[in-house]
Amino acid sequence: MRATRAIAANTFREAIRDRILYLFVGFAVVMVLSSKLFGMLTVGDEGKIVKDIGLASMQFFSMLIAVMMSMILVSREIDNRTVFNILAKPVRRWQFLLGKYLGLAMIIGANLVLITFVLIITVFIVTGELDLMLAFAGIMTMLEMLVLAAFATLFAVLTRPILGSLMTLAVYVVGHLSADLWLLTRQLPGAFTKAVISVVYYLLPNLERFNFRTEVVHDLEIPVAAVGWTVVYAMAFVALVLVLANLRFRTRDLK
Amino acid sequence: MKRTIGTLAIVATLIGVAVVSEVRLGAIPRPDPLGRELLYLPSPEILKILSLGNPGLAADVLYLWSIQYYSFFEPHERFLYLETIFNLITDLDPLYADAYRIGALIMQIQTSGDQEELKKAVARIFDKGIRNLPKNWQLAEAAAWDFFIRFKDRKIATHYAAIAARMPDAPARIKRMVGVWRDEDSAWTVEDSIDYWRRALDDAEDEWDRVMCMGQLYDAIVARDRHTLEPLLREFRSRFGFCPREWDDLIRAGALSQAPVDLFGDPYGIGSENCDLVAYKRIKDQ
Repeated sequence: MRATRAIAANTFREAIRDRILYLFVGFAVVMVLSSKLFGMLTVGDEGKIVKDIGLASMQFFSMLIAVMMSMILVSREIDNRTVFNILAKPVRRWQFLLGKYLGLAMIIGANLVLITFVLIITVFIVTGELDLMLAFAGIMTMLEMLVLAAFATLFAVLTRPILGSLMTLAVYVVGHLSADLWLLTRQLPGAFTKAVISVVYYLLPNLERFNFRTEVVHDLEIPVAAVGWTVVYAMAFVALVLVLANLRFRTRDLK
Repeated sequence: MKRTIGTLAIVATLIGVAVVSEVRLGAIPRPDPLGRELLYLPSPEILKILSLGNPGLAADVLYLWSIQYYSFFEPHERFLYLETIFNLITDLDPLYADAYRIGALIMQIQTSGDQEELKKAVARIFDKGIRNLPKNWQLAEAAAWDFFIRFKDRKIATHYAAIAARMPDAPARIKRMVGVWRDEDSAWTVEDSIDYWRRALDDAEDEWDRVMCMGQLYDAIVARDRHTLEPLLREFRSRFGFCPREWDDLIRAGALSQAPVDLFGDPYGIGSENCDLVAYKRIKDQ
């Protein structure tokens, strides 16, 4: 576990040094702050606009970080041949991969903490209310990003960097549309087609399950069971995808 | 150095050309610029998909845009696709209370076109809002006042005020408003009015509300008693040729069993000039 921790910390440190991360975080913070500007254009509830823009920025820029990081997560270690130094030590391949994943999760987590903090302060300035449910939305976005980061890790070991990024992006898009896939099964005739689409639906992550933004923005009640099952759903997907990533990485020729 | 200056000069020139082109393009009048872009607006389903889990944000963008867009119109112009746009916004975010309110407000600015159709469109947007926000008494109250002030339609106004009054957190003043409007319109019987004001009095939230409701209840009871007692007074006068001085005259004549009293148990008076019932309203003492 020490090895995994060390790799995770190193991945996090490396990303912190990366300018591209600052760029994304900077953009996200600017978006949240500029939401005040958009809010000024509205007639009525300025707070709603600020929250909507802030939460969407939080999700979008976290996704961008996951997508971009999938490009360099493993390939940089292989290209720089540092992976051999690491694996020459008593570090198992799955530990290396898990460390990389946790490092990525830490980066996204740090980004989310920062954006959530800025958003809560912005909303406080605009509405005078300390809306801590925004932190809840941030946690749910983190769960979504944990799933996406797992896919980013899988694609990082499965394919070429750019293709991996595109595939992570595709998972994000499809993950938000998979609910419509489910609706499609009701429209289509034939049990076989329905069964095939149902299988596809269950194999893909339904990222809309992590979307509690409407409830947070409109101050609606959130069922505790929904939150609990969302956590279970996220953890199951993360574990599944990381196991698949490990299966590929275990036998991969790194030369 | 020369090369750098040359490059900078080219960059500056190109920026200049771009700026001048933009200014020139902006100055050229275009036929019917408003409305054209609206023809290509996607359906709410497509917008929901495109927003990737952020339909609320898509609704915000459209809402902000619509506010700026419709500010270009003059009240005498036809506001193009207004209902469609606000339907789209509220389909994307059905809980967006401001969108229903402001959509209806923008609709009401129009002075051109069929005002009856406009009224129906305003009612449609409010109905949708009330359907999607069943606890938002503010929206229903806004609908009531809009129909009362803008369309001068007290029937529809009372309908919305009654909806607002039925909502759980609606303040007592809305209940009073409904009662007053219905009383003034004679939209219900005196007994209905008494029953309504008794319930409103029970639900009164503070002393001011209580006094107001009691005043209305007092008037409703007086109206009922007037309806019963004044024919008796008139009958007495026609029988005996003079107006009774006190209720005992009527009791002695067998027209009444006891002297009638008001809401607080105080006796009514008899107006000698018109031979009618006189009530002494002293709510604040109660």
